[in-house]
Amino acid sequence: MIPSIDFIQPKNIEELLSLLNNFPDESCIIAGGTDIIPGMQQGASRFKKFKRLIDIHHLPELKLIKVEDGVLIIGAGVTFSDIIKSSLTQNHFPLLTKAASSVGSVQIRNRATIAGNFINNAPCADSVPPLLVYEAMVRIHSFNNQYDIALKDLLLKPYQTKMEPNEIVTQISLPILSETYRGEFYKLGRRQGVAISRISIAVLIDIHQSRIMDIRIASGAITPIGKRFPELEKFARQKKLEIKLLKELARKLGKEILITTGLRWSTPYKLPVVQQIFFQLLSNITK
Amino acid sequence: MSHVTINFMLNGENITVTTRTNYRLLDILREDLGLTGTKEGCGIGECGSCTVLLNGRAVNSCLILAGQIESASITTVEGLENEGKIHLLQQNFLKYGAIQCGFCTPGMLLSAYALLNENPNPTESGIKEAIAGNLCRCTGYKQIIEAIQKTAEEMNL
Amino acid sequence: MKSTFSIVGTHIIREDGLAKVTGRMKFAADYNFPDQLHAVMVRLPLVHARIIHIDFSALANHPAITTICDANDIPGAKKVGPIRKDQPVFSYEKVVTAGDVVAMLVGPSKEELIELRNKIQIDFEPLPVLTDTEKALQSDSPLIHPEFKNNLIIHYPLRKGNVEEGFERSDFILEQIYKTPFIEHAYIEPEAVIAIPLEETGGIKIIGSIQNPFTARRVVADVLNFPLTKVRIQQAELGGAFGGKDDTMNILAARAAIGALKTNQPVKICYGREESILESYKRHPYIMNYKVGFNKNGKIQAMKIDILADGGAYASMSPFVTWRTVVQATGPYEIENVWTDVRAVYTNNPYTGAMRGFGSPQPIFAQESLMDEIAIKLDRTPDEIRKINGLKTGSITASGQKLEDHDVNLIHVLDTAVKNSGYTKKWLNNQLRHQSEKSRYLFENNSIQDIKSFLLNDTDFIDSDSSLRKGIGLALSFRGCSLGAEGIDAAAAYLSVQPDGSVYLLSGLAENGQGLRTTFSIIAAEVLGISVSDIFYLELDTGLIPDSGPTVASRSTLMGGGAVKAAAETVRHRFEKFLQKQWQESKAIIFKDRHVYSKNKLNRKISFAGLCNLAYQNGINLAAIGWYAGPKVDWDEATGQGPAYFTYVYGCQVAEVTVNIVTGEVYIDRVIAVHDPGKVINILGAKGQVYGGVTQGAGFALWEEMNTNDGKIQELNFDQYLIPTSKDIGEIIPIFVEGKDQHGPWGAKSLGEPTLELTAAAIANAIQNATGHRYFNLPLNLEEIILNRKLRAEKFGRGSHV
Repeated sequence: MIPSIDFIQPKNIEELLSLLNNFPDESCIIAGGTDIIPGMQQGASRFKKFKRLIDIHHLPELKLIKVEDGVLIIGAGVTFSDIIKSSLTQNHFPLLTKAASSVGSVQIRNRATIAGNFINNAPCADSVPPLLVYEAMVRIHSFNNQYDIALKDLLLKPYQTKMEPNEIVTQISLPILSETYRGEFYKLGRRQGVAISRISIAVLIDIHQSRIMDIRIASGAITPIGKRFPELEKFARQKKLEIKLLKELARKLGKEILITTGLRWSTPYKLPVVQQIFFQLLSNITK
Repeated sequence: MSHVTINFMLNGENITVTTRTNYRLLDILREDLGLTGTKEGCGIGECGSCTVLLNGRAVNSCLILAGQIESASITTVEGLENEGKIHLLQQNFLKYGAIQCGFCTPGMLLSAYALLNENPNPTESGIKEAIAGNLCRCTGYKQIIEAIQKTAEEMNL
Repeated sequence: MKSTFSIVGTHIIREDGLAKVTGRMKFAADYNFPDQLHAVMVRLPLVHARIIHIDFSALANHPAITTICDANDIPGAKKVGPIRKDQPVFSYEKVVTAGDVVAMLVGPSKEELIELRNKIQIDFEPLPVLTDTEKALQSDSPLIHPEFKNNLIIHYPLRKGNVEEGFERSDFILEQIYKTPFIEHAYIEPEAVIAIPLEETGGIKIIGSIQNPFTARRVVADVLNFPLTKVRIQQAELGGAFGGKDDTMNILAARAAIGALKTNQPVKICYGREESILESYKRHPYIMNYKVGFNKNGKIQAMKIDILADGGAYASMSPFVTWRTVVQATGPYEIENVWTDVRAVYTNNPYTGAMRGFGSPQPIFAQESLMDEIAIKLDRTPDEIRKINGLKTGSITASGQKLEDHDVNLIHVLDTAVKNSGYTKKWLNNQLRHQSEKSRYLFENNSIQDIKSFLLNDTDFIDSDSSLRKGIGLALSFRGCSLGAEGIDAAAAYLSVQPDGSVYLLSGLAENGQGLRTTFSIIAAEVLGISVSDIFYLELDTGLIPDSGPTVASRSTLMGGGAVKAAAETVRHRFEKFLQKQWQESKAIIFKDRHVYSKNKLNRKISFAGLCNLAYQNGINLAAIGWYAGPKVDWDEATGQGPAYFTYVYGCQVAEVTVNIVTGEVYIDRVIAVHDPGKVINILGAKGQVYGGVTQGAGFALWEEMNTNDGKIQELNFDQYLIPTSKDIGEIIPIFVEGKDQHGPWGAKSLGEPTLELTAAAIANAIQNATGHRYFNLPLNLEEIILNRKLRAEKFGRGSHV
């Protein structure tokens, strides 16, 4: 049951920020509602403290998708359906398009927003691995402040980010990569349809004359929050592309994940599987 | 602030409703307006039996709060008919045996309707994707998919 | 027997379809009455506890509370149940499972009642919890119901021949243990009921999502201490049941009735999904021990079967479910020596009861897996082994019944399925493939402590090109029709022809959504030579039609259809006699295409409507109650011998799958489902039963399981309990073989349950064929395929499946 708390619809961003400034601790921002409403229905503890819902789904300032100076800007309120339909994301950020297509169902994608997804920061948030490899910058606004922060620095732990209660995300920006980058997004769920991620991986790789110039790897759902693997990436750079290396990278990924998560109930299944998947992804991308 | 007044379009007609702020669109339809064609099966956006169209897009009405539909255009199963004549999609659901208990049917129809408006020539895989968020326990989906395919074919003639 | 039909077997559109497709059809939650109150349930947070005291004082005189109901408000039976009366309407001494309800708050605002629930103080004493079925019969285990001396709900033995001798004669012996989990019905419509006090009579009317209105009536009457006639149950349109809206609904109907009579206002109970899953009963988990002895020539000599069913907290239908199991556990095979024991026990787990299949899907998984193992051991193909042992006309079943009086089409459906799927060659090719590649299952026995084993060696990696394996598998079954020796098997139908030729029809068997109203309309239309659109199907109200037993056991077409045919034939016979007299005619009268004419002289013709009017004018009785009773069947409780069911149906399904041996994903490419349900009356409906049943069976095979943690269900909604979506299953091809039978309308028998019971077994065999690896614990989910075991999270949260 949705508790009878206040519902406010600010007319614009200024009004929103002013509201948050005045009542930071008890306000919950709602856009698509696809995480918040089920959470409230099921009595999830993290929603119990809120006294008001502030609705931002209608704010036009949050809905833009445009390219500016070699950077794709996506408004915080852009839905997954809008991302899928945009030729800008299709052409320049195919991993994000693929991840967006894999979220929930058509009904969910028509409402769920990209920022809502990573701000909620469920371990299985599908937008996070692609945004991490595309090195998304997040623009944060509050009543008298504004700054940009890398997504990887924003995410803290499951269901928590570094955001303060009086802050909102207005947009994310993704620098457009050179066309030499190839990549893949992979998601494993229990079912073919409407599946919660159990393992997700995003990988981008730039190869020149059989050497790895750049590689970016991000995992989701297998680590508490989405993460990159900087040491592994550093190890892989400049190495010559061969099957032996791909296996070693896969094994190292497994090791890194194990160090991050420790032994969990799902480890006997997920760890071998993620190594296999990663090896296969790399093999297919670099064919 | 326990109540909110909203103006929106419902099945082609402008209406104004004053309702509780914690009501979902689903509750407005079923409780305030007595339109019980839209169903509640799970309350968390998984089963799709509450599917309606919001500005032409299929959404779970159990996940939308009252205040969020201001100025929106909503279509429910009751709005698929035109002056007493049922839509071709509804006819084909009947013809191809796409209905057993009928509880998932309104939601299915709206997901299919939204699909055909956007893509008049969907593949079988496209149809399956469009209704993946509409759970059915009775029919095994086969006859539903067939009804939608046949409708697309007939609409394209 | 009719050889050509006008309507039977043709493509007929559902008569209730228009209302469903326009959203006008009212389901139980769609009913609202002026002045109605809502009721919410009060439960303990524990699974097994003694109730010391419930303190409602914080709610005293609260304006949102009209009344509070508990066991003290019950004038009649405080406990109910279809066999053992062990289930309280409101728990009053102790709670024995998580879904138990101790009290009910009634008031105008459901939201306020839910918030007030938290203010209730309950003093209780926790009791030790029993969740392990294998410990249930130990003397030191907690006793769930002290009024019974132990936790045994029922034990069925079956003894045929001499198994010890049979094993001694056997060249080979195989022993295996198979397990299946709690399964949720997952009807998309959650439970809802509304009770309306009838002021004039002091009685009660109840509208609800009630699968078996006559059972509900009896329960409510017992609880209220009313005569049956003072309780009127009207079945609202059911949004799916699959056997699951029986016991739970009877109790909800009783609770709503208590509230309505206490307040003198309508009382509505409407469950959300979580509450539905929490309180409603499930399919029995089974632990099945099978031992089979067989010879080099493929003939089975002996089978010893020991099955333990988790009955959960209440007996419910466990005795009937396990009885079907004991009759059918060997599978459709002629075996001289059989020793079977099936037991159901009490635990504090969620209670278990009727679910489509009713004690058959679980043993079919076990026995059909075993049959494939026999084939592999003997280097033969699985279809060969089925043929060698399969039941034929004149065969004797495990319970000593000789199969005759109907087409025993077991081998015919097997052959049809094998032929249409190209089974044998595909199966052999895949088997040969295993022999030439090493096993990829490297992680079967890795212990959780051995971290290094989780990191792959160079040789462990598999190319994506080599990840997919195809497999084909089959499963074969026979199924006794209707209730068998379980219970009284008779059904009624009411047919009332109107003077203008339109016809009212009502069966005592309740529609569950599967389309039986259409099937019955087809039967009546066929007999009277009219069209289905001439028939108006009435709402099921217990006041209008005799008790016809429940809509279970796939008995509707067989029994209900038999009654409809009888009613229609009664009226037709009267018409015939009337016309023969009118026309001075002795030859038969033909009823066809909405006209009636003499066989002899075709110019003696009248429209059906004209006939009705004429007959009416002449004082002919145009209405009839048809009655169809099943032949008597027998059962010896001590030996498990007797003609258990009066007839049988046969089915064979072949599943083709693709297994990803890296992730454990299984994709179902195709299922060919061959069924002999007798005569197919409603072809559109019959196909729907196959598509739907196979899809549910696939869920049972690959994704569905309800896990309990100390008796508490972990998967409370559809985000956790996964049923198949449109993307999860490939092609399904139904093929019908219409065997002849003297029973039922033109030999029409059963289809609803046979379609579900086979699929998981076929998929399991297909997975073995794909991977070379056999699995024994359903569901065959990702971990089971890769690790050969299940992994369990300590606690579940939304999306946090890391």
